Amino acid sequence: MDPPLINELHFSAANPSAYGLAEIWPFPINPGSDPNVATAGGLGFRMGNLGGFGDTSGHRDGSMEESTVTEQSVGYGAGTKRKDLSSEDESSKIVSTTTSANELNDSNGKRMKMLGTKNENAGSKAKVEANSAAGSKPGQNSKPAEPPKQDYIHVRARRGQATDSHSLAEKARREKISERMKILQDLVPGCNKIIGKALVLDEIINYIQSLHRQVEFLSMKLEAVNSRMNMNPSIEGFHSKDLGSQPFDVAGMIFGSQTAREYAQGSQPEWLQMHVIGTFKRAT
Amino acid sequence: MNPQHLNASSLKSRFTRRFLRALTKINAQKPISSSSPREIFQRYGRIKAAADKSMANSVRSRRTWSRAMLWKLRSRSYRQASSGRRSAVKTSTTTSHQAIRKKTNHEKENKPTKTGEDQVGFVVQADELRELVPGGEAMDLCNLLDETAHYIKCLTTQVQVMKKIVDFYSL
Repeated sequence: MDPPLINELHFSAANPSAYGLAEIWPFPINPGSDPNVATAGGLGFRMGNLGGFGDTSGHRDGSMEESTVTEQSVGYGAGTKRKDLSSEDESSKIVSTTTSANELNDSNGKRMKMLGTKNENAGSKAKVEANSAAGSKPGQNSKPAEPPKQDYIHVRARRGQATDSHSLAEKARREKISERMKILQDLVPGCNKIIGKALVLDEIINYIQSLHRQVEFLSMKLEAVNSRMNMNPSIEGFHSKDLGSQPFDVAGMIFGSQTAREYAQGSQPEWLQMHVIGTFKRAT
Repeated sequence: MNPQHLNASSLKSRFTRRFLRALTKINAQKPISSSSPREIFQRYGRIKAAADKSMANSVRSRRTWSRAMLWKLRSRSYRQASSGRRSAVKTSTTTSHQAIRKKTNHEKENKPTKTGEDQVGFVVQADELRELVPGGEAMDLCNLLDETAHYIKCLTTQVQVMKKIVDFYSL
C-alpha cells in the first residue's frame, strides 16, 4: 500500500516467464521464522504457477494480463499482509490478496484505496480460480502429442460394430425377439401399421383378450343351443351316432357350411337331418 | 357340393373332432329339464372347459402353454372331485401338482431380475402377456413370444370352429 513497499516488491513478475520462487520473491524465505513470509512464499509460488501457465498459452493475452496483474497484486498483498495478519486466518489470506488485487485493478494508474468487500473477494477469487483452471487446460494442451500415462488406450466402439461377446449375444437375442415380433404382427390383423414394440404388444394383448371373450361368448351360445337341441332328442341322437364313424366328414361338413347358408330360410331340424344325411351318403 | 377336403391331421380337424366328441358327451350327460341360472352357468363352464381341454389335447404336450393349460384344468377337476369325495388319492396328486407349481414359481422369481435389464421399455406389456398366456410366468421374453404366436393361432382356430358349430346348430 505504501509506495516504498511497492517499490520493494516491484520484482520482475511482470515478466510472466519467471518460474522460480527465488526470482519472484526477493525476500528470503524462512519457513520457521515468520508465518507471514511462509504464506507469502506460498502465495508467490502460486502466483508463479499462474505466471507459468499464462506463458504457455501465448494466445491468451487477456489471461496473461490478468495473471500479471494478479501476480503483482498477490505479491503486493503479501507484503501488506504483515500488517493485518493477526486478524486473519490462513484461508482468508488469499481473500485479502484478492481484495488488494481488486484495489489494484480498480485503481490502475490511480491512487490506491483500501476498499474491498466480501463479494468482490469472491468474484476475484473465482476469477483467479477460473484463471487457474483455464491455465491448467492450456497446460495439458501444451503436450498434445504425448499420450496419457496408461497401459491401454480405451477406444469406444462404433454403434453396431461391437466386438464384445456380451454385446454380440445381446444383439443376437434382440434380433430373435424382433423376428418373433414380426411373426406376431402377421398373425394379428391390423398390426402391420403400428410401429414400436410396445404398441404392437398392446395390440396383441388386446387381441388375445378379445379372443378369450369370443370363446366365452361362443361357449355360452353353444350351451343355449344345446339345451334347445335337447328338446329334440332325435337330432342329437343322430349326431352322436354318426360322429364317431365319420369324423373327417363332420369336419368337412362343418367347414363346408356355405351350403348351409343357402338353406338359410329353413331353421327346421328336418332340413338339418336331410343335410347331414346327404353329406354322409356322399362320403360312403 | 363337395365338402372341402382338409388335412386330416391339421390342428383344425383334430380340434373339431375332439370338441364334437366332448360336446356330445356333455349332451348325453345333462338332464333336459334343468334351467336354473346356476345350472346354466355350470353347463356353460363345462362346455368352455371342454373347448379348452380339447384344444390343449390337440396340441398335446408339444407346447408349454398347452401343458400349463392341461395341468390347470386337471387340477381344477381334481379339486372339484376331491371336494365332493375327499379321497386321499386325489389330494396326493394335487400336492404333486403343487410341487410342480412351486418349482415354476421359483423359476419365475429368478427370472425377473435378469429379464428386467434386458427388456427395453416393454416390461409392463410382457407381464400382461404372461398373465394372458397360460404357463407364461416362467418364460423369458423370447420363448414367451413364441408361445404367444402359437397360442393365438390355436385360439383363432378354436373360435372359428366354435362359430361354425354354433351356426350349424342354430340353423
